[in-house]
Amino acid sequence: MAGFLKVLLRNVLEGPSTDPFPLGKTFTPERLRGRARVDPELCMGCGICRNSCTAGAINITPLDDGSGYTITIWQNSCCLCASCRHYCPTGAMSITNDWHSAHPEEEKFNRLERHTIKYEPCAGCGTLIRPVPASLARRLYAATPEIDPEKIRRLCPQCRRQEDASRNAGVISPTTTETVAARELTSAAPTTY
Amino acid sequence: MSLDKTLKKLSVRSPWLFRINAGSCNGCDVELATTACIPRYDVERFGCRYCGSPRHADVVLITGPLTTKVRDRVLRVWHEIPNPKITVAVGICPISGGVFREGYSIEGPIDRYLPVDVNVPGCPPRPQAILEGVVLARSIWLKKLGLEE
Repeated sequence: MAGFLKVLLRNVLEGPSTDPFPLGKTFTPERLRGRARVDPELCMGCGICRNSCTAGAINITPLDDGSGYTITIWQNSCCLCASCRHYCPTGAMSITNDWHSAHPEEEKFNRLERHTIKYEPCAGCGTLIRPVPASLARRLYAATPEIDPEKIRRLCPQCRRQEDASRNAGVISPTTTETVAARELTSAAPTTY
Repeated sequence: MSLDKTLKKLSVRSPWLFRINAGSCNGCDVELATTACIPRYDVERFGCRYCGSPRHADVVLITGPLTTKVRDRVLRVWHEIPNPKITVAVGICPISGGVFREGYSIEGPIDRYLPVDVNVPGCPPRPQAILEGVVLARSIWLKKLGLEE
């Protein structure tokens, strides 16, 4: 009997446990998986998100004139697994905690996250490339201060190789291979985490 | 206000819900049960009750990607619901096929067969999103009845 009174008193003091939503406010956990977002500054168009997307919600289409690509996420197919965020090498994919997903049928195909990303000419030869994002380049070349990440991120793979070769021309002996390990190489060292 | 409209307004009940599982994995069904049965979300505050017979329903919540096996049964049950009815697709499966899209036994998305009014995507959507969808369905239902602009 006394136990019951305790529960009753607590219920009277604390009020109902019903969430007032949609008439009032509700809670949203910080890490709730809602709408998927892609950061056009960081996206490289590598397609790992498209390959890892369980529900096939991501599409990457090159532009007709080859000057860039369009990345599209259809929110109505996204199964909120966040594997795109997990596998994205540049951290461009993110899952926001925006869960307001109810919409009328007319808006079915409008719920897109779409960005058209243009390629930029390589600083060396002018070929159209997608520059490595600045933050990623800084992280990649953190162990080798001889390399300027701001400069190398705007080079195409071919020019990067030439740049590497010209920098190491005096360091590596072309005839012997045994002395290479002893000398200091300044190409990108593998990043350790 | 005309007599017709007054009578309509007087006779309008709370929208009763009916649930059709069109081959769902039960994730969305668990969320629908949560929306109704857990006091925190309590969809019955809006007069929405789950009913056992499709003939009593006003709002039909469909989960699942519409498999070949259940297609005809779903259509039969759906056609038993009296008009005006509001179809709500809950979860990504009935909306786009979701992870099951283009599977050998998948007939969906559901709007190939039925006119859908409200979509609530998510895998599964959280109960608040379902509540939002039900409230949206209710306003569309009132519009269909001509009681709300």
